[in-house]
Amino acid sequence: MNKRLVVSVVFVVLVIVVAISFSSYQANLLEMHDKTKYLERIAAKTASPLVNLENGSPPLGSESAPVTIVEFGDYQCEACYHWFHNTRSTLIDNYIETGKAKLIFVDLPFLGRDSPIAAQASYCAEDQGKYWEYHTILYTFQDGPPDSGWADRDRLNSFAFSLDMNIDEFNECMDSSKYKKRVKANYDEAVKNGANSTPTFIIISQDGAIEKFAGAQPYPVFASMIESML
Amino acid sequence: MFVPLSIISEFLFVEPFIIFHVIEDRVTSFVLIVFISLMSAIVIPMNIYRIRTLQKSTTKIGGSIAGSIIGASAGICSCGPIGFSIVSTFGTIAGTATAFLTNYEIPLRLASLLLLCLVYYTTVKSISIECKIQ
Repeated sequence: MNKRLVVSVVFVVLVIVVAISFSSYQANLLEMHDKTKYLERIAAKTASPLVNLENGSPPLGSESAPVTIVEFGDYQCEACYHWFHNTRSTLIDNYIETGKAKLIFVDLPFLGRDSPIAAQASYCAEDQGKYWEYHTILYTFQDGPPDSGWADRDRLNSFAFSLDMNIDEFNECMDSSKYKKRVKANYDEAVKNGANSTPTFIIISQDGAIEKFAGAQPYPVFASMIESML
Repeated sequence: MFVPLSIISEFLFVEPFIIFHVIEDRVTSFVLIVFISLMSAIVIPMNIYRIRTLQKSTTKIGGSIAGSIIGASAGICSCGPIGFSIVSTFGTIAGTATAFLTNYEIPLRLASLLLLCLVYYTTVKSISIECKIQ
């Protein structure tokens, strides 16, 4: 019985280790397969990679702000929820509203089947000029584990309704999967930039210098990074 | 054990610089990490000593390792790199499993702590009997 327990524990640990190793091995193999892409990736690690933000959210803050904060996130991610409620508002007050920085959200929806749908809904809201309001409502009402129903189609519709959006237009946009490719492009862009968790942040200065870090980090980390780039 | 647990539970960040950050609504989780690390640090060496010195069975170390692993895995954030690797490799079913570990973090950690306390109690009892000078 006890030997069985030890063997089971060792087996579980081994499965986790093998899964992680296999995942990174597969990623490396795919990169190696496309040699040009692989060399580009190596070069990107040494030079400043240019983050393609054309499929991301509309900027929050002044377009001409010298610093750009890029957040790679998932609407069903708990850590993103913590960052949204503990750090983001101070950052907005001190850097975004003062014109020193702008925030761009790039989707990295990997946590469940509702994640890419929620991301698509945010762009359908953008069509009606309510991207950031919809983004806020999603992080305000995040409730429960991924795919528990808090971000299913009915809830997404009710969020749109509560923002006084045109529901017919919103439904049409969602039914047509108009923004499926955009969300996928964002996912690819996030992975290309080395984001392997949410939230991951890239802070870009005016001269193209880049700082990347992951996790729901506290405000002083952002303040320090942004100040060093101003 | 405390350092890796703090990193995977996103209390300790090493990039861009080392910073320790515990938000108000995750204090319980942090306190449980402290106790699990403390109990693991006591129980595992005690059992290693018991096995090596007294040549006793591995019964209790199994419990202590299980307790530590449950405590550690309960904190794996499904949004973190481990969660991302697992979900990318195994798909949404793995996502549900990691979400379970995140959502039942507190009960799992309490169970782990309970198991470690039980192992501690039985180990202390067994050592005091086995080491008794006749």
